[in-house]
Amino acid sequence: MLSINALKEFGANVEEGLARCLNDEDFYLKLVKKAADSTDFDLLKTAVEQKDYKTAFETAHSIKGVFGNLSVTPIYEPTAQITELLRADTDTDYTELLGSIIKNGNKLKELCK
Amino acid sequence: MQKDSKGFFSVNGKRQILIADDEFINREILGNLFEDKYDLIFAEDGKQAINKIEENKDTLSLVLLDIVMPVMDGFEVLKFIRTSPELAHIPVIVATSDRESEARSLHMGASDFISKPYPDAEIVLARVRKTIELNEDRRIISATERDRLTGLYNIHYFNRYAVQLDHFHKDTEMDAALIDIYHFHMINERFGAAYGNEVLKTVAACLKAIVTEKGGMVCRSGADTFLMYLPHQDDYKSILKTAEDSLSGEVFRDNKIRLRIGIYENVDRNLDVAARFDRARTAANKLRGSFSNNIGFYDVSLYEKELFEEQLIDDFPTALKDNQFKVFFQPKYNIKGENPVLSSAEALVRWSHPKYGMVSPGVFIPLFESNGLIEQLDKYVWNQTAHLIAEWEKKYGVIVPVSVNISRIDFYNPSLVDELVAICNSNGLKAKDLFLEITESAYSEDSKSIIETLDRLREYGFRIEMDDFGSGYSSLNMISSLPIDVLKLDMAFIRSAFKDKKDLRLLEIMIDIAKYLHVPTVAEGVETGEQYLALKAIGCDIIQGYYFSKPLPAEEFEEHIKRYLNNL
Repeated sequence: MLSINALKEFGANVEEGLARCLNDEDFYLKLVKKAADSTDFDLLKTAVEQKDYKTAFETAHSIKGVFGNLSVTPIYEPTAQITELLRADTDTDYTELLGSIIKNGNKLKELCK
Repeated sequence: MQKDSKGFFSVNGKRQILIADDEFINREILGNLFEDKYDLIFAEDGKQAINKIEENKDTLSLVLLDIVMPVMDGFEVLKFIRTSPELAHIPVIVATSDRESEARSLHMGASDFISKPYPDAEIVLARVRKTIELNEDRRIISATERDRLTGLYNIHYFNRYAVQLDHFHKDTEMDAALIDIYHFHMINERFGAAYGNEVLKTVAACLKAIVTEKGGMVCRSGADTFLMYLPHQDDYKSILKTAEDSLSGEVFRDNKIRLRIGIYENVDRNLDVAARFDRARTAANKLRGSFSNNIGFYDVSLYEKELFEEQLIDDFPTALKDNQFKVFFQPKYNIKGENPVLSSAEALVRWSHPKYGMVSPGVFIPLFESNGLIEQLDKYVWNQTAHLIAEWEKKYGVIVPVSVNISRIDFYNPSLVDELVAICNSNGLKAKDLFLEITESAYSEDSKSIIETLDRLREYGFRIEMDDFGSGYSSLNMISSLPIDVLKLDMAFIRSAFKDKKDLRLLEIMIDIAKYLHVPTVAEGVETGEQYLALKAIGCDIIQGYYFSKPLPAEEFEEHIKRYLNNL
């Protein structure tokens, strides 16, 4: 069961995320769970590996948008970085950033169980 | 328009917002934020957004638009809204995470943006509220200041903005121009109001383009009247042509629609704006009925004449009360015998105006004839004249008949006959002592009723003189049936008969007509001995004019009576 405390421990800026949800905890947790369940982090990895930077950018951008608004910092921050690199079509080593996105994504999915 | 009027609301009484975002979570967050205060609809991509906007265009207060969306992105949606006349009034707030898009969307006509991740809920709410408020205020101002059909300013705001324009362009010579459409009511009648509206809208759009280019402004001030206030132009012909040319093509079914323009150039800024356009209107009105000329310029002297006439009309009642009108008498001499003998006189009115001195009857008579005041003036003259005839009788023991003018409008007075009889009675005169002059042209209008009245007057014993004979349009056929006791030849005939090469044939014919009718002739405007002798030779009976005397004040005219008595 996802809880406010668990999200805090995970590193989310819960106060900020809650404020966007008018401090409705149940609503906030529901949205975080929904975001975690519906996001396929591997999709981003595949697109980057295939150097399909357009798809990669769109995927990263939408992950960034959602987790940014929920203030799930451990996912938002690396996604924001990778989005900017992809926007500029940067041909670089994405392994580390992708690694932390997928690691943290899976961790969140675990928290939601 | 009231701010909380219909149209700013969706059906359930709340303002309506469209949230366009492909992310479910974002729609949820925003939905949660706005659902208490707003009626919400959602779109998941650009195409859907456009469909929903078109469906709800009349009730939608705001679009909250994500930029990065599948199918069609936010920029395309924004462009579509801004370029569609039916949707352009709907404000858009863009939600974006990058700086570049913020600037770009503002350039493309977004009202505001909110960054992603969303700022504090209060900020998002406040920005949405403010944007809606500003947009509604703008629409209220726009609806108030503009004409609904053409989108041009209405006259009230036009007047105000013209003052502002003056303020910022103090040294620019400005023109006030009034444009209207020939026979616009007939265009409406013949082709329908929808067609008429299309004409108005097209002219409006064309004039708007013209003033935008020239640096002026335009409004619709009435049904088919447009006012333009613009820096001085030399070529109104091409301006008018541009406007007329805009009304060609299939929509207008090749009907030739004509415009006309009245211009008051280089306006006097001491006049208020409305007065400047009154002058442009005067210039346009000069063109009335003219198909050959459709550009009129305001003439300041024309204005001064009108102003003077207005002043005379204002002064008329006082003038009548204070006896500023003086009755003058011009003697008429019978020239049948060896020596000319005073036979009668004509009463002529003069106006001794306290401010303008002697005002010419050539100015005030046509003016009072046109507005009906002549009726009162005529009565004044009748009374004064009758009174003097009676006074002279007392003083000198003779009756000198005097002819007075009966204007056309007097015949509309049903008690005309009774009043004239009463004037004679109250002064102890007989009807034959007062001659009545009626101009020939009066006979031709509504002649039947005028002839009836004249017949009644003659039954009472009044003598009827037909004035200005030869200047009107009497047919020779009808003249024998008219009730006339004297024919008075138009002064113009005397003048032309003696001008350059003497030619009296026409005068002879007219005198023959008088003889045929068994009435005497009076020639007026006789100025020289030569004229006198010639007229006497061809059988003219009576002569009036400077040869014997100019019109005289009553006391000076009495000298003629005294001389008459001395010669008896």
